[in-house]
Formats: sequence, structure tokens, C-alpha cells
Amino acid sequence: MREKIEQLKSAALRQIVAAADLAALEEARVRFAGKNSELTALLKTLGTLAAEERPKVGALVNEAKTALEAALTEKKSALQQTAQTQKIAAEKLDVTLPGKGLKRGHYHPLTQVMNEAKNIFIRLGFEIAEGPEIETEYYNFDGLNIPPHHPSRDMWSTLFVEGGQLLRTHTSPVQVRVMEKRKPPLAIIAPGRVYRRDYDATHSPVFQQLEGFLVNKNVTFGDLKGTLTEFLRQMFGKERNVRFRPSYFPFTEPSVEVDVEWEGKGWMEILGSGMIDPNVFKAVGYDPEKFSGFAFGMGIDRIAMLKYGIDNIHLMYENDLRFLEQF
Amino acid sequence: MRVPIEWLKELVSFRAGADQLAEMLTNGGLETVALPDEVLEVDVLPNRADAWSVRGIAREVSALTKFKINKAKVKIKETFNKQVKGTVKVEVRDQELCPRYMARVIENVKVGESPEWLKKRLELSGIRPINNVVDVTNYLLHELGQPMHAFDAALIKDQFIVVRRAKPGERVITLDEKPHELSKETLVIADPEKTIAVAGIMGCANTEVSSTTRTVILESAFFQPVSIHRTAKQIKTRTESSVRFEHGVDWHAVEEALDRGAALIAELARGDVLKGKIDTAAAARKERVIELRSARVNQLLGSEIPVGDMISILNRLGFGVKKAEGSKLKVIVPSFREMDIEREIDLVEEIARIWGFNRIEATMPNTAFPGKGTDREDLLRQRLRETLVGCGLNEVQSYSMIGPKEFARTGLSQEKAVRITNPLTVEGSIMRTNILPGLLNIAVHNQNRQVENVFIFEIGKVFRGKDERWLLGGLVVGSPFMSALDKGAADYSFIKGIVETLFRELGVELPKVVGSNSFLLQPGKGAEADGLGVWGALHPTIQRNYELTKPAFFFELDLDALFKLVPTGKRYQQLPKYPSVSRDISMFLPAGLEHQQIVELIERTGGDLVEDVYPFDKYQDSIAYRIVYRHTERTLTEDEVNKRHQDVVGALTTKLNVKIR
Repeated sequence: MREKIEQLKSAALRQIVAAADLAALEEARVRFAGKNSELTALLKTLGTLAAEERPKVGALVNEAKTALEAALTEKKSALQQTAQTQKIAAEKLDVTLPGKGLKRGHYHPLTQVMNEAKNIFIRLGFEIAEGPEIETEYYNFDGLNIPPHHPSRDMWSTLFVEGGQLLRTHTSPVQVRVMEKRKPPLAIIAPGRVYRRDYDATHSPVFQQLEGFLVNKNVTFGDLKGTLTEFLRQMFGKERNVRFRPSYFPFTEPSVEVDVEWEGKGWMEILGSGMIDPNVFKAVGYDPEKFSGFAFGMGIDRIAMLKYGIDNIHLMYENDLRFLEQF
Repeated sequence: MRVPIEWLKELVSFRAGADQLAEMLTNGGLETVALPDEVLEVDVLPNRADAWSVRGIAREVSALTKFKINKAKVKIKETFNKQVKGTVKVEVRDQELCPRYMARVIENVKVGESPEWLKKRLELSGIRPINNVVDVTNYLLHELGQPMHAFDAALIKDQFIVVRRAKPGERVITLDEKPHELSKETLVIADPEKTIAVAGIMGCANTEVSSTTRTVILESAFFQPVSIHRTAKQIKTRTESSVRFEHGVDWHAVEEALDRGAALIAELARGDVLKGKIDTAAAARKERVIELRSARVNQLLGSEIPVGDMISILNRLGFGVKKAEGSKLKVIVPSFREMDIEREIDLVEEIARIWGFNRIEATMPNTAFPGKGTDREDLLRQRLRETLVGCGLNEVQSYSMIGPKEFARTGLSQEKAVRITNPLTVEGSIMRTNILPGLLNIAVHNQNRQVENVFIFEIGKVFRGKDERWLLGGLVVGSPFMSALDKGAADYSFIKGIVETLFRELGVELPKVVGSNSFLLQPGKGAEADGLGVWGALHPTIQRNYELTKPAFFFELDLDALFKLVPTGKRYQQLPKYPSVSRDISMFLPAGLEHQQIVELIERTGGDLVEDVYPFDKYQDSIAYRIVYRHTERTLTEDEVNKRHQDVVGALTTKLNVKIR
């Protein structure tokens, strides 16, 4: 009996160890440790043994059973591990291959810069207004204190359209249009396309401006400086030096050119500004004794060119995807 | 304008070096850079005619540094025996266009080279020396800002000068040998027989000073700025002289320059200055006086500039100042600032710029901002951009003007197109009526540079007659995938998917879609939504016209129309409480039957119980739909669903002739 148990046990262990896969292991389990296994059958024959033999043999059988189960568990775990390892090996990928999905598009750099500038002014409390791109001479010039035949009109090389209108040379007409319709206090920005009859490396016949103005009682030149300094700091960084320099625009007085210090390039003109000229107020029916305000305008293309180090404005309108995808 | 520092130092003493001087002038409002050879390059603003001369810059330096101007004394030796009157006669026939005409006569001149010191000053100033007479006029033009003209008296018939308007169609040839046709708006200088100069712009060769000239008539005048501006534009001739006159010269410098000119010609060309001078000015010029409220200056600037400093600044700039009642000042404008100083605000600017913009404290406006923040449409456009960028399209910006070629290549009508009357090029002579041509050009540009996959969109204005509206256009060619390992190119369903995504983003239901007859689209592969836009495959003819090698798909949406449909005030919808039941139908489609018709019929027949219908499998003419049934207030029973589904199946077979599989 004891021999029989030992034989069974070692045969079983051999088969368990030799099992090549989970199916072979299962076969071994059924054969040696299942309900109909010889070991189970042996247990059932315990009754035929002498009373003093029974516990000893019983213990032996149980011991063999435990050993088998332990071997089975161990082997199963080993086989599972092997199977998983094989599966993993089989599933190995080239993880460096490109990913899947639609390519993402890009915002035009001019939109990015325009949005940045717009958002700063919106946070400061300004609101957006828009106007037509085909304008009348009145809104583009006369209403802005630029009379006909005045040399100051030559500051803008103008494109005219049939019927006597023109392509706005700046976003300033929006100033007049808004003030005609509304009363102060006003804090407005007017983004948009403008047109000039110019073409060279830094001038495009189409470009983008952001205009802004603020009108109320007791608005001062100091407020102009404060507001624009805040804008420039948010736009270009706090550490940059800003310079306010006298200039000339027919629709503002005093007029000012605002420069920002650019590493390696010295002072760069960023925007034109000034206190709104009393004649502009008179043209829209405001009393210049009662209200004052400042206006400013900047070329978005120019700022984008400075910011990204672009030396040719025409890249902006050529739309080479190898250019656009850099932004 | 170039200013040799040595010349400037003759007019005003100062201690600053060239770079320091340049910075100071720039901060005062005249952008200046220091060039090599001790020369300044000054960019004179169009309103500062007074600064357009060495003396003008000297006055500016004086105002900024408080150093005084050195006044040049004119030493003129006139002959005793011969008078200008009796030698030369001047008749001004148009006082309005020529309020002041002055002349002197210098006899026995020997025209020759100018001395070195004068030639050097001219050359440093960028002026080419010619001869001692012409050089004197150029020299004084540069120093005083007053243009003068020298005539050879012998060539002027009867030495009789007439200042008159040109006869309509009158032809002249100016010193630069260019012929011009004049209008009656043009002022000319003439003798009884011929025109000898286009006033204020350029003289004619017929009376030019040459080596044989013995007697010089020197002209110094004040011409009306607008007239000179108009003529210079008309005859397309801008000269150093015309730009001075069109911005207005100094009334008093007219005489000063004339005297200095005569004296200098006499000195350099050894001539004799005849006694007296001609002056046609009607009366002495009245001084302009402006009332200035010193409190107003500080109120507008937000500054605290003491009144004493205001007066000092104005005095240094050449203004006379008298105290009036209260804090008011009476300010007398010097003749050289008559063109730009007319109002109190002009004085405020003068005080501010000399005081220094950088000395005025920066403050934040003490104002209630009425701002409503972002503009609705601006925001919607931004949302569309975001969506399209997410769909893989790159934003482009193309010119708003295109050429007739684009209309020809696309077949778009020019009927309502707005034309530019003075375009830079023919390719930019018509305002765009659609976004598509710009997109096509960009696609070609990229294709020709081996960029194979072009996914682009533009949001911009188009122009049709008086109508100006916002359009969104997009164009796709090639594969939309990040990796070329993923196969497939953008097609009709891709472009329709973008349109659907845009509508969903805006919360607008895509209206009934119909096949489009647009000539821009390939028949059978394009669709439109009434009044909102079109999309589909670009017509093969247009593809060929643009030499696009691969099929392109595009869409164009009218944003003005679309944004009107965008709902405001979004409300949340309750989530369903009861389960849904799905049923699938597979069918063979008869030819020509569209998906939209099937969905419509299922929704109509299924009524309220149909929550969703969508195709989930399609192969050739066979298609399978899933219908999701749900009741909002209770759980549907099997029988209910089956009955309703039978109705749907019945309707499909009888009304649309589909064959259920």
C-alpha cells in the first residue's frame, strides 16, 4: 500500500512537472488528484485496512495529495506565467511607430497674435466693435480730421473702389462710427483688415490692425500711458522697457508713438496713439470740453513678425503649410 | 533731412554729442539718428514744416536744451544808382494762390563754382552742388526752409514777371526735361510770352541760370499750400521746393531768405545787388493769438506742470506769452508755426513734448467700463476656428482682392464684384466674392512645393455690390491622417462630416440637405443647405483649370446667415429615466433612394417613440439601420415596440419600395 502511494505520487509529480501546457496539466490533475483518480480510490479502500494501519496510510495519502496539489498550483502558475510571457512576446510592437489619428490643424499666426492682444484689452474692460472694410472717404478721412487735399492724407496710400468709396486704410473709422451711435463712457477695440497701396518686404496691401479708444470725462494722457503700458507688459513681458515719443496723427493730439525695447534691435515701434483730437469729437457731436479720451492702433502683422522673427510679411499671406504648421 | 552738426552749431550753441542730440530730438518728437561724418538724419513729421530746415532743428535744440538761437545778421550792400523798380516788373494775377511774391535783382554776376565750405555743407546734406547761384538758393532752402528760384533776367521777355493760373491744357517742359500738361488750378510764373516756372515746384529750362548769365532775378514767395500740393500730385513731381510750399513756409522768412540770398550771391559771384526789392504782400500779416488755460493743460495731461515752466517752454519755442485773467495765458504764435498751431490743444502738445512724455505719470483710467466683453459674432468665429483646427484644418489668410483670372478659372460671376480703380496689380484688382479662389491658389501653391496633403480654411469678408459679409470656406486634398500608414483620403463624407461638426458646435440643426447644382461642384457629389452654404467635390473642370493633381473637396458657409440661427440661452435636457429598446432593419435600396428620405419616413411613422435612427452597416445597395425606441414616462413593452416597428417596416416597403432582407 505504502509503495503504491509512493509510486502514484512520484508518477503524478513527474507528469505534473512534465506538463507542457495548461491542458496537459489539467489532464494530470484529473488523473491523479481528481474525483476519479487512483489516489481518491485508495482513500476509499482505507476501510479494508487494519485499524492501526488506517491513520498512517490515511496520513500518507493526504500528504501525497497535498504535495500533488501544491505541485499543481505551482506548475499552473508557472505555466500561466509562461503563457503570458509568450503572449506578451507575441504582442510586442514597434512602439516607435507613428500614432494614429487626424492631424491637428493650426491657427494662423496673425489670429494667434490678434487673439492675444484682443484678450488683454477685454480683460481690461474693453469691448469689441467692427466696421465695414469698404469705407467712405468721410469715415476714413474727413471724420478723422483729415481734410481733402491736405498733405496729411498722403500718410496713407489708398486703394479706391468704383463708386468713390475706398478700402479702409486703418481701423480708425470704427471710432467715428461707434461715437456717432453711442455716448461715453466708451472703451472699444476694433480689430480687422486694412488696406494700403504698398508692397515690399515689410508692407503688404492687406494687413491687420487692432484699434482701440477710451472716452469719458477726465480721461488723461497719463491714463493713455498707464493703459498702454499695462497692455505692452502683458503682451511682451514685464521686463521690457517702454518709451513714449511725440509723433503726429491728424486725429490725435498730443500724438504719441510707443516703442518697446527689443533685445539686439533697439527700440521697435509697436503702436501709435494719442489723445483724441477735439475736431474728431466735434464731428460726432461730443463736447470736447466735457469729454476727453485716447485712441491707439497697432499693426498685428508687425507685432507677429517681431515676436516670431519673421522678416518677410508675405509669408503671412502666402500660406505655405510648412510655414503655418510651425505655429 | 540731413543736418551737418557743424552747420547746426553755427545757429545754436550746445554741448551734446551726436548720439545724445539724436536721442534728445527723438524724445522731443523728431525721430533722429546720428550718421557718420557728424551728420544727423532727421525724420520731420508732416505737421512740422517749421522743423524742415537747419534753423528749424536749431530752434528745436534750443527749446530742449535752453541754449539760445544765434541770430544771423544780414549784411547786404545795395548799389546806389540803380533800383529794382524800373528794372523788373512783377504782376500777381491771383492773390489767393500767391499772397506774397518778392524779388531782388543781382547784376554783373560771374556764375561759377561755389567755395569749398559751401559745397561741403551741401554735400553733407545730400545736395549736389551746381553753381554758385543755384547753390545759394539750395543752401538757404536747407538752412531756412524757404525755397527760392533764380532766373536769368536776360531770358525773361521785358523783365516782366506775371504770376497767373495756367491756361487749361497749357504745356511746359520743366528743368528735368519732363513735359507736363497743366490745368487752370496750376499757378505758373510767366513772362509776357512764355511760362518760365511751375510755381513752387520747378523752373523751366528757358530761363535757367547758366555760365553766360549776367543778371539774376531772385524769387522768394509764399504760395498757397493746397494749390501746390494739388499741382505736385497732378504733374507727379515732388521737389524739395514743392514739399516745403505744400506744408506752408514761414511768411517772414520769405523776405529774410531773399535778402540773405542776394547778399550771398553778391559775395560769391561778385555781383551787384540793385537797390530795393519787390514785395506784393497786400498788408502786414496779423499775428495769431491763442488763449491757453494752464489748468486745462494739466487736466488733459494728468500732470502738474507749473505755469512758469509752461511759459518758459513756449518762449523757448518762439511763442510770445502774456498773462491774462485767472490762470489764462495769451499766446502769440510765431510766423513759422502758423501752419500747425491754431488751437489750445496744439499748445498743450507743444508743452507736453518739450516737458517730456516720460515725465508724465502713468495712471489707470478712473472710468466705469461699460464693456459687454466679447462680441458674440467674434466669439462664434473663434469657436468655428477651434472646431476646424480640431478637425485637422489649418487656418489661412489670403488677400481680399483677386484678379479676373480667378473668376475665369472658377466660373464665378463678376456681375456684383467690386472693382478697385487704382490696383497695384491686375491680380489684385477685384474684391473677392467668395473664399474659394483664395483657397484654390493656396492649394496649388502648396502642391507645387511638394506639400501633398492640403487641409485649409479661411474666415473672412467677401464683397458683393454693397453687401459685405463674413464667409467661411474650407478645402481639403489628400490624407487627413497624422501617419501615412493610415490609408484613405478625404472624400465627400469627410467634408460633410466637417459641416455636420460645425453645425453641431453652434447648436444649429443641419437643415434639409439637397443635391447641389452649383457649377463649383461635381454633379452628384455636392450638396447644399438652403441659404447657408454648399459642400462637396470640386468640379473636375475647376480642378483642371487650377492644375490640381488630386481631387479636392470644399465647403463654403455664409456665417452672417448661419449665426442668426445660433440659439442663445442653452437649456439642459433631463436624462432618460426609462430604458430604450433597439431594433435593426436590413434592406436593399432601390436606385436613387436617399438616406435622408429613409430617416424622415422612419421618424414620421415611428413618431414620439423613435429617439434615434442611424445606419450602421452599408454594403453596395444594402443598408442596415438601427432604430432606438424609448418612452419618456414609462418602460416600453415588447408588444408595443414590435407593433410600432412593424408599422415602420410596412411603411418602408410600401412607400419607399425597399426590400427587407
